[in-house]
Amino acid sequence: MQTIDLATAGGATLALLPEVVLTGAALVVLLVLSWRHTTAEDSRLAGYLSLGGVGLSAVALAYLWTADLQPLGLAHMIAVDTFRYAAVAIILIATAATILLSLQYVERERLLAPEYYCLILLAATGMMYLAGATDLIVSFLGLEVMSVAVYVLVGFNRGSVFSAEAALKYFLIGAFASAFLLYGIALIYGATGTTNIMEIGARLGQGNIPVLGALGLGLLLIGFGFKVAAVPFHMWAPDVYDGAPTPITGFMATGVKAAGVIALTRILFDGFSHSIDLWQPVVAALAIASMVLGNLVALSQRSLKRMLAYSSIAHAGYLLTAIWTGSSLGAGATLLYILAYVLTTLATFGILAALGRGGERDVTLDTIAGLGARRPWLAFALSACMLSLLGFPGTLGFIGKWTILMAIVNQAHAALGIILVLTSLVSAGYYLPVIMSMYMKPASATSPEGKMSGAGIAVIVVTVGLLLVFGFWPGPVLGIATNSARVLSGAVPSVNALVR
Amino acid sequence: MTDFLTSVGYGQWILHALIALPVLGAIVVLFGTTANAKRIGLVVAVLEFILSIGLWWAVDTRPGTMQLVAAIPWIPTWGISYRVGIDGISLFMVLLTTMLLPLCVLSSFTYIAKREKAYYALLLLLTTGVLGVFISLDLFVFYVFWELMLIPMYFLIGIWGGTNRLYAAIKFFVFTMAGSLLMLVAILVMVYRIRVVTGVLSFSYEHLLLNAVKVRSWSPWLFGGFGLAFAIKVPIFPFHTWLPDAHVEAPTAGSVMLASVLLKMGIYGFLRFAIPFFPSVALGPDITALVIGLALIGIIYGALVAMVQPDIKKLVAYSSVSHLGFAMLGVWAGSVQSVQGALMVMIGHGFSTGALFFLIGMLYERRHTREISAYGGIARVVPLFSVILMIASLSSIGLPGLNGFIGEFLILLGSFRNHPVAVGLATTGVIFAAAYLLWALQRLIFNRLDKPENSSLRDLTLREVLVMAPLVIGIVWLGLFPGPVLRKMEPATKRYLELADPGIHPIKLFSFADKSK
Repeated sequence: MQTIDLATAGGATLALLPEVVLTGAALVVLLVLSWRHTTAEDSRLAGYLSLGGVGLSAVALAYLWTADLQPLGLAHMIAVDTFRYAAVAIILIATAATILLSLQYVERERLLAPEYYCLILLAATGMMYLAGATDLIVSFLGLEVMSVAVYVLVGFNRGSVFSAEAALKYFLIGAFASAFLLYGIALIYGATGTTNIMEIGARLGQGNIPVLGALGLGLLLIGFGFKVAAVPFHMWAPDVYDGAPTPITGFMATGVKAAGVIALTRILFDGFSHSIDLWQPVVAALAIASMVLGNLVALSQRSLKRMLAYSSIAHAGYLLTAIWTGSSLGAGATLLYILAYVLTTLATFGILAALGRGGERDVTLDTIAGLGARRPWLAFALSACMLSLLGFPGTLGFIGKWTILMAIVNQAHAALGIILVLTSLVSAGYYLPVIMSMYMKPASATSPEGKMSGAGIAVIVVTVGLLLVFGFWPGPVLGIATNSARVLSGAVPSVNALVR
Repeated sequence: MTDFLTSVGYGQWILHALIALPVLGAIVVLFGTTANAKRIGLVVAVLEFILSIGLWWAVDTRPGTMQLVAAIPWIPTWGISYRVGIDGISLFMVLLTTMLLPLCVLSSFTYIAKREKAYYALLLLLTTGVLGVFISLDLFVFYVFWELMLIPMYFLIGIWGGTNRLYAAIKFFVFTMAGSLLMLVAILVMVYRIRVVTGVLSFSYEHLLLNAVKVRSWSPWLFGGFGLAFAIKVPIFPFHTWLPDAHVEAPTAGSVMLASVLLKMGIYGFLRFAIPFFPSVALGPDITALVIGLALIGIIYGALVAMVQPDIKKLVAYSSVSHLGFAMLGVWAGSVQSVQGALMVMIGHGFSTGALFFLIGMLYERRHTREISAYGGIARVVPLFSVILMIASLSSIGLPGLNGFIGEFLILLGSFRNHPVAVGLATTGVIFAAAYLLWALQRLIFNRLDKPENSSLRDLTLREVLVMAPLVIGIVWLGLFPGPVLRKMEPATKRYLELADPGIHPIKLFSFADKSK
């Protein structure tokens, strides 16, 4: 164990090593692009460079994780703990997969502006700041860095009306969300005199939370509600997911959501653990609304991309139930579920990107009919993803739902768990038709799907493989998630914790 | 025999082998050629059956407790182990499953003409799931197998089923999953509550069984969670509506597996989990009255609906509702005879209904219709088929000397003391069974041979005889000599009855609050 002083430049740089490396990589990519930005090869070069950057950042993360650093005193701006490391790892996985999936996609869709990769790296950096922040201002900065990059990425397909519409919609709604968040931060600062999450927790103490602080917390929840697409702040999600380039949709559904949920977990657990009675009902209401509405509306979608958009709302609901518990078990469940959801969603969007046939907006239940006979392995992978999203045993999605249910039950509570399983049952109504369409319907008279790139295949093989392996042998990820979550000091010490 | 089995360490590896072999077989099938799929499938299935036969000697049923117990840590943080074992109750469920598997494979040789590799692989995977349910002694493992078995069945119905297969497949899936998801919550709440009382976090069956009484105040809710899952599976009226659809649409082997094995998992769940965990609720006056009432409705309603079916497969499907109503009655009557009777009905129904579904499948392959009215007088054309159909039907009706009789008679005998009225009503079910099956037989194989297309029907081929022969032998053998089987079951049944003692103060529903700890 080694202590670092975050107040010194060296200490802060060390603590921020993954972020610094990734930002550096983004700048290098930008620099290279100044000379080479015309051909498809240039675009590919940018992609490989970005991938290298993500790799270096992962090395830095691995170093931090194994070095077991301890901050000297309070971590003022950025957390130096395993919860952040786990979150950063998930974000890096999502980023690497997005870049790999994009390599072929941008060429096929003729989106040959290599800034694309630079923006992905910047968005990832923002996510990492957001997920690791211990200060609300850093949270906000991270959120903005992430959001601005993603606004551009959503609208990257300049030729498409839908892409432009999605970008504008996301930008306007995002600006609203940021305003809510910022105002909330201001009110909380007004109530407590600090923006540091731990200090907020300490100052709010055992007593009643001042009205100003409660109001600020409410605005904060609204802001994050928009970002993670929880009902009733979800209206933008279907159109934006639908209009954005498919790899970016996957990036938003995984990275943005993961960063938002993790930041919200840290803020609620460390900053507002004493006001748990105040936010628990709100989070429960958001969770229930998201689970019910997301699942019900997803039932009526024919387009897979839109269906996944609504289902991502439902998954935000499941994640919120894990946060609702307010226990370290719940935080561990959040991490594990995010990992399951990120891996599954990346694989799913990778498959969708492979199935889309240049220019056409989406893949529907009809176009995948008979895929089981045409592309057996692809169909198998998509089936595994659907079952994982459904939470079926044998997949990591099941382990994730199981942990969330354990965390809920551990609070001596069952109602939310019952709602969770019943809404999961509803989700069978739209995940199963995908499988059904692939295997049990005759092939439609459409042109065959294009060939997949090696990178795309690699992403799908690795993610689906991990889903299944961890589904049967969850020990390692479970251990990491549980241990990482334990550092959230403010988390309500569960007297009856199932796992100590 | 026992010495030989001991010398090869049979008891140590057999349960793992039975679970693993079909999975490995499925992989071999998938990577083999299409032409070889059925042969590899058959070899694996026969091997599985041969391996399982040794269980008859290897399982010491005399103590009535779990034998050949093995535990491999799986997720230690949560107290989950891959824990398996077998007793006199699950022994026969396992043997029934492994016996039917080769027959199912063999019967599909000509019936299945498309995507054969996937078909045989799924059939093997289904077997793993079913066997896992019958031998798992850890609630997590049990739940995983319980759910895993859904996927192969879903595909079997959905890909190789009849015209309405998509509807039937999704209905089957959603019905079963609805029950099992609530069971999942019940399992977790139970484990957590017991963890609070005892300080031990474990999903082990023994642990939960031992301590279930300590969470008595939660029993009604927990029993509800478990009970609903099993009731849907059995199925008890009014949760039976998935069954006719699934049975009719599934391919022959799927129908056989569904009727002969999968339905038994519901009753098995009650006997192994729901009742021993929460006897005070399950056998309390309210639930007993409810279950026996629903069982009677199932017996009579199933029989009446079966009577009017124009489709022979649907007729048999509804007769399952009726037969399993008997089994439920036997379980809830709670005497040694009635529970043994229920177990015998489970085996007997597996044989006779399995045989009927096989025969219907063979008929369907020849004429591509299952309408009873399309046949008539075919006994003259296909005598061998007709004789076997007669034997299977008479067994299903419960003719003395065939195995259907043993179970139903034991149930009626064992239930009479406590539930004379119910037995009186249930007996009408036997009469109705005679009515609908004999009437159907008359229209199918007797009457006048008035349809020209029926006069050229081919009789059973050698392969089909090989499928039917073990079932016919089983039907007659068990009907004449049920003794060895009953003797093997008895200690486990008695042990079950010890566990399923409602105690002095059975919990009445809606008044349990005052008894909370």
